[in-house]
Amino acid sequence: MSLFSFVSIGNADVNFSGKTITWVVPFKEGGGTSRFARFIQPFLKKYLPGNPDVQIMHIPGGGAIKGSNYFEKNAKADGTFIFGCSTSVIVNVATGNPLVKYNLSEYRPVVLLPQNTHWFTRSDLAEPHDLSKIKERKLVLYALKTPASADLFHIWIYEKLGIKGAKPIPGLSSSGGYQAFLRGEIHLSSHGAANYVKKVKPEIEKGKVVDLMTLGIIGADGSVSRNPLAPNAPTFPEMYEKVNGKKLEGDDLEAYYAIGAAWSQASKAMMLPKDASDEIVKAYRDAAIKMTNDPEFKAKAVKALGPFPLIIGEEAGEIIKKAAVFSDTTKKQLNAALKKHKFTYRVQ
Amino acid sequence: MEQLLAALLQLFEPTHLAFLFAGTLLGLIVGILPGMGGTSGLALVLPFVFTMEPSHALAMMIGVLAPTTTSDTFPAVLMGVPGTAGSQATVMDGFPLSKKGMAARALSAAFSASLLGGIFGAFILSISIYYAIPIIMAFGFGEQFLLVVLALLMVGALTGDNLFKGIASCFLGLIIGSIGTAPITGDPRYTFNTLYLLEGVPLVVVGLGLFAIPEIVGLLDAKGSIAKSLNTKKGWFTGLKDVVKNWFLVLRCSTLGCLVGALPGLGGTVVDWIAYSHLKQTTKDTSQFGKGDIRGVIAPESANNAKEGGALIPTLIFGIPGSGNKVLLLGGFVLIGIEPGLDMVTTNLDLTYLMIWSLAIANILGAGICMGFSSQISKFTLVPYYILAPVMVCLIFFATFNINRDWYDFIGLLSFGIIGITFKNFGWSRPALLIGFFLSSKVELLSYQTQAVYGLSFLSRPVSVILIILCLATIVLLTKQKFDNNYRSDLIKGKLTQIYYIVILLCLPLSMIWFTSSLDYRANLFPISLSVIALSLLVFILIIKIADLKNLPFLNNTLMNFARSNIFEISGNFNNQLFYYLSFIGFLLMNFIFGFPIAAALFINIFILFHNRKAYVSSICISAVLMVILWSLSSLLTLQFPNGLIGLFIDLPWWLGGQLN
Repeated sequence: MSLFSFVSIGNADVNFSGKTITWVVPFKEGGGTSRFARFIQPFLKKYLPGNPDVQIMHIPGGGAIKGSNYFEKNAKADGTFIFGCSTSVIVNVATGNPLVKYNLSEYRPVVLLPQNTHWFTRSDLAEPHDLSKIKERKLVLYALKTPASADLFHIWIYEKLGIKGAKPIPGLSSSGGYQAFLRGEIHLSSHGAANYVKKVKPEIEKGKVVDLMTLGIIGADGSVSRNPLAPNAPTFPEMYEKVNGKKLEGDDLEAYYAIGAAWSQASKAMMLPKDASDEIVKAYRDAAIKMTNDPEFKAKAVKALGPFPLIIGEEAGEIIKKAAVFSDTTKKQLNAALKKHKFTYRVQ
Repeated sequence: MEQLLAALLQLFEPTHLAFLFAGTLLGLIVGILPGMGGTSGLALVLPFVFTMEPSHALAMMIGVLAPTTTSDTFPAVLMGVPGTAGSQATVMDGFPLSKKGMAARALSAAFSASLLGGIFGAFILSISIYYAIPIIMAFGFGEQFLLVVLALLMVGALTGDNLFKGIASCFLGLIIGSIGTAPITGDPRYTFNTLYLLEGVPLVVVGLGLFAIPEIVGLLDAKGSIAKSLNTKKGWFTGLKDVVKNWFLVLRCSTLGCLVGALPGLGGTVVDWIAYSHLKQTTKDTSQFGKGDIRGVIAPESANNAKEGGALIPTLIFGIPGSGNKVLLLGGFVLIGIEPGLDMVTTNLDLTYLMIWSLAIANILGAGICMGFSSQISKFTLVPYYILAPVMVCLIFFATFNINRDWYDFIGLLSFGIIGITFKNFGWSRPALLIGFFLSSKVELLSYQTQAVYGLSFLSRPVSVILIILCLATIVLLTKQKFDNNYRSDLIKGKLTQIYYIVILLCLPLSMIWFTSSLDYRANLFPISLSVIALSLLVFILIIKIADLKNLPFLNNTLMNFARSNIFEISGNFNNQLFYYLSFIGFLLMNFIFGFPIAAALFINIFILFHNRKAYVSSICISAVLMVILWSLSSLLTLQFPNGLIGLFIDLPWWLGGQLN
């Protein structure tokens, strides 16, 4: 590997002129990862050396495993293949799904698009930013699509906040869950940033819904800051401290970082295969940086991608490693939460 | 109101209008092809819509749906064959009129009735959307659960030739729908450790397999059903006058169509008969019915177009398909990222209005094109089916492959093809199977969700009680109307085949129980309960069949007679159809060897030349045109064609299935 990169320094000119770059997206057209890829696609063509054509190849199926395995098997390392990754692709690896054949933690990330989760409840159930009334309830229902996905983290979060009555209602998508929440059938609900702005904010303004907390924005140094979309709402670490009377640290903090990396920081990602040379990675990262300075990108990005800035550079690789490889203590914590709620599914 | 007008303006943008127009044309064509209807038409466009903008995709999909029930009148009147399931009743008087030389009168009356019905449906839909929010908020998990279950019961009870076979079809669909990852625990169910089945069987595969393939095979079999002569010149004005004269009938039947369409799960398959029998009951002089009474054309045609608007109500606000083709429409929603429910009347209201306008305009366009170009369009009924069939098969294969880009989809398509052929021939209900399949995961999840939130107390909520009474009453009323008993057991041959068929059907629930019994109870409770019910129904049907075969005396009372009615179906040329089906398997094998493009060209030429040696000019031209269409689609969709075995040895160019890069 090091020999390879030494040699290739000699001809540092990466040029994709006349080539076609295949962007493998392991999801259906129209999904979030597909929209992310389609938004970036024209800028990539504009700023990559040689202005190559970029085509997006959707390979959905098997909970994103089929397309991811396809990429692992078929991608060339010469920069003509890139991969559209998302939380569910990471969670498949992190939770040890036996069908996974891709080694995500060794991939070379170019761009990460962070996301953030908001938690809220009905105004008759709690004061804003205060869990105490929720914790007193015998039954606190919330939506959970399937434990074999990022929704698994909800179980852990509620567990750590000591919400004893928390009971997941299975098979509810976040949109279906929000409808049930508005009908008064479930008590806690959560949404990503885009839907929070579109659907939840109006209800908060009407006084029907109150903010509880956000997952928090994790910085490169591990510090956690508040979500600019709900600046008054505490982050999970703040809420943890308030509820448990001690700082979030140790195993719990480690688990939070892992969850935060998979769920929030690397919500969507563009990656090169693991054997891509440093020059190619650099060419891509340079193109990404130029893209973020493009006035057209600046004008459209917040609407298309959300309010959080892209993560580009070495830092991205660290986040992916954290997200894709859960430590044994984190796995143990997640499994304990799963067991407590009588799920048969286990993180491997 | 503002959004209503804004949506109209948006629709009149050239690109929108173009997509709507393209959809309408396709809808007209699939409507004319006998047997093919909105379900097959949508299944064909579904794999392409996700590359479009949501609003374009919606315009196109509605465009396909709306006019099928307008143009289906051509074959009904000219050939005596219903173009879609919704025009079966039109044949009753339409065909006799055409034999009397009044085809043009029948067609123009039918088109204008369709037009009025369709617009009425769109109008009712836009009003109901206005009142949808309180309805959605009143429908919790429990009410939704009831609605789904009752929809399934209704579709099962009313779309089969026999009540029990219909309900059994529904349960078989539910079982097939439970294949894949168990939603509660994440356990794989009935997947045989394959990745392919992990997300269940793809909807388009089921839709095309169940509906398109049996119709193609059936029409190849019935070679004689091509229109012999066309006389559509005179009488257009008379037809228009007939509709104006019967305006009250149009209004009543449109209302009826809308109402029946809005009953979830029921939709298209029975609405024409209901309108027809309503007409019979409310007319004094019934002597001309069946012999060419123009009212017998007006009634079902206004109803079957009006039902589209009605059927969109449960589809949009609950995600419960109002009829078979709405299942695929919902599949399309998923692809373009629209979730039915509250969003449709709040944040996505503009899209909802866009659909309503599309519906109205597609109806006007459809009826306009049908009237304006009737003599040209009716020539479609003259095209020999051996030319259309191979082209259709290639398009279906292409559309199927485009969903998942997976070889297994071909196998799935042909498997559901044979299920569809046998279901159609032996009198089982395909719409019930499809809707059961689609609603399966919804039933399972809603039962858990209802249990978690309410326990059994949901049954005593007021909306629940109303729902139960309403639906049971509908079933009782409609069953009485539908199964008037003129079943002639002695006319049916090949009963043993149909008895063996049940034994094959029994394998599905039995194997489902076998393979899921070792899982966690939350993963297998649902499929096993379904399987047990399906087993009991199938065994009951088997007993009745054997009793009918042996003519046992206990069948001779009113109750048993009901169970016996249509227990066997006349299966005319089943073997003939199997032969054509086998040729499709041959096509699949050719695909394995040569890859898709070469196989498609070969198949079209072989198929046409097999039927008519002299048609080589047309076969070569048709295959060439199809190739060009497929190539342009493939570069549009960055689709790599299925690569055959020879691709392993020879480096093929991309347009023959080689690497795309």
